Amino acid sequence: MKKFWAMIYRDAQKTNRRFLICLIGAILFAIHGIVYTAPAFAQKEVTSSSYRQQERERRSRIYEKYEYKRYTHQPFVQRKTPRTELITLAPTAEKVRFRKYMADSHWGLRFYKYRTCIRCHPKQARNLHRVRAKITCRQCHGEEPIAGNSHYNSSMQPRRRYILVCAKCHEGSSPSFATYMIHEPIPIAKTTQKAFPLLFYCVWAMVAIAVGTFAAFLPHTFLWGLREFLPDSILAGFKDFLFKKRKQDEKD
Amino acid sequence: MKRIKRFTPAQRLFHLILMLSFVFQSVSGLARMYVGTEWGLFLANLFGGFQEALILHKWVGLFMLAGFGVHLLYILIKIDWRRFPKSVYGPDSLLPRLEDASQALQHAKWMVGMSEWPRFDRWGYWEKFDYWAVSWGICVLGGTGLLLYLPVYSSLYIPGWVLNIVLWVHRIEAILAMAHVFIIHLFIGHLRRHNFPMDLVMFEGSVDLEKVRHERPDWVDRLEKEGKLQEATVDNSPVSFRIACYIFGFVMIGGCLYLLVNGLSNARELFG
Repeated sequence: MKKFWAMIYRDAQKTNRRFLICLIGAILFAIHGIVYTAPAFAQKEVTSSSYRQQERERRSRIYEKYEYKRYTHQPFVQRKTPRTELITLAPTAEKVRFRKYMADSHWGLRFYKYRTCIRCHPKQARNLHRVRAKITCRQCHGEEPIAGNSHYNSSMQPRRRYILVCAKCHEGSSPSFATYMIHEPIPIAKTTQKAFPLLFYCVWAMVAIAVGTFAAFLPHTFLWGLREFLPDSILAGFKDFLFKKRKQDEKD
Repeated sequence: MKRIKRFTPAQRLFHLILMLSFVFQSVSGLARMYVGTEWGLFLANLFGGFQEALILHKWVGLFMLAGFGVHLLYILIKIDWRRFPKSVYGPDSLLPRLEDASQALQHAKWMVGMSEWPRFDRWGYWEKFDYWAVSWGICVLGGTGLLLYLPVYSSLYIPGWVLNIVLWVHRIEAILAMAHVFIIHLFIGHLRRHNFPMDLVMFEGSVDLEKVRHERPDWVDRLEKEGKLQEATVDNSPVSFRIACYIFGFVMIGGCLYLLVNGLSNARELFG
């Protein structure tokens, strides 16, 4: 440590005294930021950890069996998600990487109770079940806690989805039927090429057929209508103009 | 005023049934497609609700497929099997010929004043395109529609995720068919200057001889050469029938344009 400070002092002497002053200032500013500001705005959140512990006990229905690790982490963990807004996570929830395997896939999300599904999953709201049949998220995904789709006990587990979810309305549904993608991606989007390639290529092929038809027939129809509407003299004049100009060009 | 016979009663009946069922399918399909809009709600209310619109859409779809089957039978009966390969290559056939390509090119040149009006025979290339477009459309829409008719049952034979693709193909093909009929077919058939305000040939079955001599000179020449012109000449249809045709035709054209305008003006809601 002495060597470190001696090195800094030597460098400062060698180069500039201002460097040392700036370094000390920056360290003091960082300490001020960590010690004073962060706990100040997170104080309320820290006190709610016990509430979350109780919530977790209520959800799991296991009371006072486990001792929980004391709250020693940074109080605010903000994680940027691909969604439109930031979602605050509890510190231990931050460690969860694959939520689709959890019994409660929304475990640890702050203010979860006060949000609607669509606020965090806006893209999932665009599906025919919701738009046409007015089916709500809960009618398929179930009551709280909503298990991850791949969790063993989830009703959305592919191996029993067709019995527990699809068959509620589609009588006689099969495992094959359950592979229909309710939350399908936007078919013409570039990302769909990887997610659902056959849909991507089929839809683009159909779009190409439609665009090709109109590219050929819209100008055809328009010109035909125009030609019948215009008197012949105008087109004859246009033709004369074209050919005269060409003859002149040849002479030149 | 001499008139020349162009369509048989059976062909006119096929067109009438196709037209009515197509417009019905358009209205019920658009009601489902525009489900999130006020207009979609209005269209669905005509049938008594979204679910009822779907049920009727399915039934009329089956009816159209049956009609297509009857049309295929009609073709099989009408083909002259004794002179088989030659009989379907003639100028009275709707099969595409090499002349169609050259006539299309000449027609395009005529539009910009570079050429004379092509000497069309009985069928123009755009009419052949329309005929085969309907066949293609019924195959695609009918095939995908059958798979979507009972999705639970059809998913026993195909993977369920194929229904995602099938639904999109059905939708895009339907948009293509409706836009083609409402914009291009109606304009060429009725709204261009020589046919304005309406061409009754599909309802009456006959067309003015002088008009045909101008529009399709090769057909009239061929009939004259073969001595069949007198045979093909028919009388004028009664005035009351023509008035009824005009009223019916205007209602249909007005309805189609109404669907087109509202479909386009609500298109933003479709993607938003």
